[in-house]
Amino acid sequence: MANAQQKRNFKKLWIIGFFVLLALFPPFFLSQYWLHVMIISLFYVMMASSWNLIAGFTGQVSFAHAAFSGIGAYVSGMLAVYLGLSPWLGIFVGMGVAALLGLALGYLCIRMGGIYLSLTTLGFSEILRIIITNEDQWTRGTMGLQVPGFFTEYSKTSYYYLFLIIAILILLIIYWIIHSEMGLTFRAVLNDELAASSSGINTIRVRILAFTISSAMAGLAGGLYGHYLMLITPDIPSLGQMFLVLAMVVIGGMGSFIGPIMGSFILEILSEYIRIYGEYHVLLFGLIALGISRFAPEGVMGVLGRRWKRAWA
Amino acid sequence: MSEFLMYLTNGMVMGVINAISAIGVSLIVGIMRVVNFAHGELYIFAGYFSYHLSTSLGVPPLIAMPLSVFFIFLVGIGMERTLIRPTYGNEMYSLIITFVLSIVLQNAALLIFGPYPNKPPNLVSGATNIFGLYHYGNQRLLTFFISIGILLFIFYLIKKTWFGKSIRAVSQDRGMASLVGVDHFRVNMLSFGLGAALAGAAGVVIAPIFPVTPTGSSAISLNAFVVVVLGGMGSLKGCVVGGLLLGMIENLGAAYISTMYRHIFGFIILILVLVFRPWGIFGQKTQ
Repeated sequence: MANAQQKRNFKKLWIIGFFVLLALFPPFFLSQYWLHVMIISLFYVMMASSWNLIAGFTGQVSFAHAAFSGIGAYVSGMLAVYLGLSPWLGIFVGMGVAALLGLALGYLCIRMGGIYLSLTTLGFSEILRIIITNEDQWTRGTMGLQVPGFFTEYSKTSYYYLFLIIAILILLIIYWIIHSEMGLTFRAVLNDELAASSSGINTIRVRILAFTISSAMAGLAGGLYGHYLMLITPDIPSLGQMFLVLAMVVIGGMGSFIGPIMGSFILEILSEYIRIYGEYHVLLFGLIALGISRFAPEGVMGVLGRRWKRAWA
Repeated sequence: MSEFLMYLTNGMVMGVINAISAIGVSLIVGIMRVVNFAHGELYIFAGYFSYHLSTSLGVPPLIAMPLSVFFIFLVGIGMERTLIRPTYGNEMYSLIITFVLSIVLQNAALLIFGPYPNKPPNLVSGATNIFGLYHYGNQRLLTFFISIGILLFIFYLIKKTWFGKSIRAVSQDRGMASLVGVDHFRVNMLSFGLGAALAGAAGVVIAPIFPVTPTGSSAISLNAFVVVVLGGMGSLKGCVVGGLLLGMIENLGAAYISTMYRHIFGFIILILVLVFRPWGIFGQKTQ
């Protein structure tokens, strides 16, 4: 029994190692443009996977994930511009602020139930948008705030490896969380809240914790993204961005570890191909996401997983 | 003084419209435990329908208005049948589906109607002198009275008719209601349609005063949600009181504090309610 488990873990490690090794190569053969697409995809991997941590694993729908990434970006960007703080430190301050705001929002709403969290986080992102566009003497509003990058010598390759390292770190933390005891309580809360709370799990504390961790991850991802683009605009915390992240998770497969990663790459690459048709990609992704959540709620990963299992059985 | 009274009147006009829109959300939440994030988009669509029916097709405005509301009612029924019904019992999926739907509809509205506000024709013109204090636009006064009429109709529908009784029965105890012969699928469908129609009604009555735009829809949904939480989830009385309060606070706040931050007042109210009285003004404290 233990042997079989070990074997499976070993196989898993091999597969993961293979993909990580594969991920080291793109800078050697991709053009600058496609390297950029890969970097943006890695940003979405961080966003989608951390959103999936709360939505897929604890069943809470937050609409403030993009807003938290915006907070990470603006806090770090403004610290760099006005106080000259290094972005390497700034992103962690941004992450901390996002975590604190996440904790506050989570503390306020989660005890009231899922609907309240969704409503309040939606309100929060709308308010953040209003503040950022109106306080333009500080944020430069819709014009965008120009911020310094991480490296003195601009190179997409360095950014690619930076994003890759952080994305892998975030994924490792998420993997560790969902396979730890905490992950078990997450799933217990998701499956049957009443049963979980009567077997001694503090369901509210578990949810607030998950929400805070996920907000912090969004803040970190946003900070990285802002300093990579070197221009922070209100598009980062917009509901449109939130929708993209949500669509990536829903299309890839909610509640699966691989699903959001696949979803991020699929949608980001697809949107590069249909960019020439203008803004229709939002409409198209929306329709796909609606179809998937209606007919295949487990997403692409769920459908593929079933196929594979059947093929192997 | 007269200025203050005018802002207050503006607040009341907005307040009754807020109330109509919020009752639409509240009905759906109360009966199905579903928050319709596409509420603001339905509101916008109704405004545009009313504009295009009356201006582009030449339908008299008095017919165009109820016709648009009826269209939105049908859209609501279609939404419930195709997308919402399979999600019953899974709160998370209904939240995700209606959010995605709101983005889809918002982009569809941008595509179909364009980003510009369109104003349906006024029903009346001129202004009336109110108690010799200030002049107030007749169109706004008419909107106010039409809205009150709609509110009275809703209360009659829910408190006095058979349909209203079955709605209340289902929202109190779904299982028991179906035991005594209420077809809850039908009730769900009709009340989702009614909720959508109320978003439509609010959009239709407001469009001649404040033309709607596709990008304004999330603020509209949020306003309705704030009112529902402020009044207490599932309470109709709460929607009216909450709607009026929000309308007046927003208008006075915009006039005396900051116009740019008009929509922030609603959010501040939401946070205050969540901190001090999470069950709202008329809601029941459950825990």
